[in-house]
Amino acid sequence: MLILRESYFIYVRNLKTWLAQPWMIVAAVLSSAFMFLFFGEPLRGITALPGFPADDYQAFLAAMVIVMAVVFSGSDMAMVLLTDMMSGYVDKLLLSPVNRFSILLGTLLIGGTRAMAQVLAIILVASAIGVRFEGGVLGILGVIVATTLLGVAMGCVGLIVAMRTRSVQVTVNSWLLFMPLAFLTSAFMPRDLLTGWFQVAVGLNPIEYIMVAVRAVIIEGWVWDSILPGIWILLATTAVLVGAATYEYRRATN
Amino acid sequence: MTNGPAVLVEGLGKTYPGGVRAVDGISFEVERGEFFGFLGPNGAGKTTTIKILATLLPKTEGRVEVAGLDVTRDPKAVRQAIGVALQEVGLDDLSKGRDFLELQGLLYGLSRAEARERAAELLELVGLSSVADRRVGSYSGGMRRRIDLAGALMHNPGVLFLDEPTTGLDPQSRIAVWEHLEELNARGVTIFLTTQHMDEADRLCRRLAIIDHGHLVAEGSPAALKAGVGGDIVHVAFNSDDSADDRVDAALAAVRDLPGIRQADFAERGLTATVSDGGAAAPAIMTAFQDANLSIANLSITRPSLDDVFLQHTGRQIRDSDADGDAEDRMWSQWMGVNRR
Repeated sequence: MLILRESYFIYVRNLKTWLAQPWMIVAAVLSSAFMFLFFGEPLRGITALPGFPADDYQAFLAAMVIVMAVVFSGSDMAMVLLTDMMSGYVDKLLLSPVNRFSILLGTLLIGGTRAMAQVLAIILVASAIGVRFEGGVLGILGVIVATTLLGVAMGCVGLIVAMRTRSVQVTVNSWLLFMPLAFLTSAFMPRDLLTGWFQVAVGLNPIEYIMVAVRAVIIEGWVWDSILPGIWILLATTAVLVGAATYEYRRATN
Repeated sequence: MTNGPAVLVEGLGKTYPGGVRAVDGISFEVERGEFFGFLGPNGAGKTTTIKILATLLPKTEGRVEVAGLDVTRDPKAVRQAIGVALQEVGLDDLSKGRDFLELQGLLYGLSRAEARERAAELLELVGLSSVADRRVGSYSGGMRRRIDLAGALMHNPGVLFLDEPTTGLDPQSRIAVWEHLEELNARGVTIFLTTQHMDEADRLCRRLAIIDHGHLVAEGSPAALKAGVGGDIVHVAFNSDDSADDRVDAALAAVRDLPGIRQADFAERGLTATVSDGGAAAPAIMTAFQDANLSIANLSITRPSLDDVFLQHTGRQIRDSDADGDAEDRMWSQWMGVNRR
């Protein structure tokens, strides 16, 4: 398949570009380690609350650290694409006879790869501070696959922001867009213990269901009642966002 | 490549969203193997035209064929047939020079082995072999142009489009780029080059078209265009702080009334006149200045250059046009929503 061959070349280029910026990687890992340190430590006592589902708050928090890192990676992907648009590298690709979709695919796949690498790093950090994964090795693999997909989906949001606005100031600040997605969740506290409008808003946020599924695998193991809704919502969200990014990309390159 | 000229443009027009008319019904042809120059000030429509020819921008109307292929109907085949280097655009700063070239080759369908071999060959040609494994971001301006040129050549295109390939380069690097281009043309590559530098057009191009405000104002070989100016050029530099001064207008009116003056215009705090006989006209021109109370700083008589051709056809010097220029760039940024430079 020519598209796969072309996408692969573009993907490898994007991978090299990413690896050529080691501070991007260091910062991504550090920010996740800081989450455990600055949220996990002070909030440790929450587990004593009646009805709190985990004994180890760091284990509870691990799902939030993982999902949040991947959600915010969408903002990084926006910047990656915008940088290539502004340097004219996207034009250079468009001048070549490659299929337009190969360029998009090579970019989305790097979004997935970055998410995957970051999740892997977080799992290592979590293990190092003593978090046990109830879902076992298969659970860890499941979390990695799911969050890679989520990385592609969030990358789509980033690409749409970059293509629509073509503006540095909007794109640099696009993490704001991802903030409600990441924080209107049961990130710090299970949904049953939340109250009022916040609890309602959390129920409407698709990311919440993905976070609940990831957390279930970590603190409880294979509890399908909590995991399945997350899987369906992840698949649906990814499909919709890839579709929207493809549409937007067609519009922008024609 | 199919039959037909390298470039065929008929009634090409481009109106940007928002209504700015960048190119207004131009027609020209470039023969295979030709070194063709597209000359004009900033904002004249050069970059818009080259982007349409290179399939990067859709046209509003007209017919455009490149390498015998219609750019709208068959853009992919056009892309495969041409090499393009736009104004310092599209370099991948974090990639190594060699990797940049090899990827270009792969994207144009070369095999890995072919891409590796061709990249090494071109790095040699443009004199970048010694820095091939350094990142492009560390290259100087001249090296960047050369690696970009090499990238455009990876797939051996028959037609090469270059947008201001030497703008911003120091004189030595300019000459190095010129020599590469001449060598390529000698090997049979058709070159379509835009420039705002008259000396560049004069040295390189066998034929050129001058574009101003989206219209073609002249077309022909540099020699024929210069001969078309006819006679000598008298340039008078005068001492006045303000070129809108009444005295300046009086002097210009007086000079225009002199016998043997074909054209006289102000440009750059001076007056340029086309006259049938420079030596005979000079004293009368000096008198006109004296009568207007303007003191002359310098007077020269020369044979026409391409600058004079431009002046004759547009009433302005190309350097003056830069000031009001960048309209096209502005419009492009507006359309794109970003500042490209």
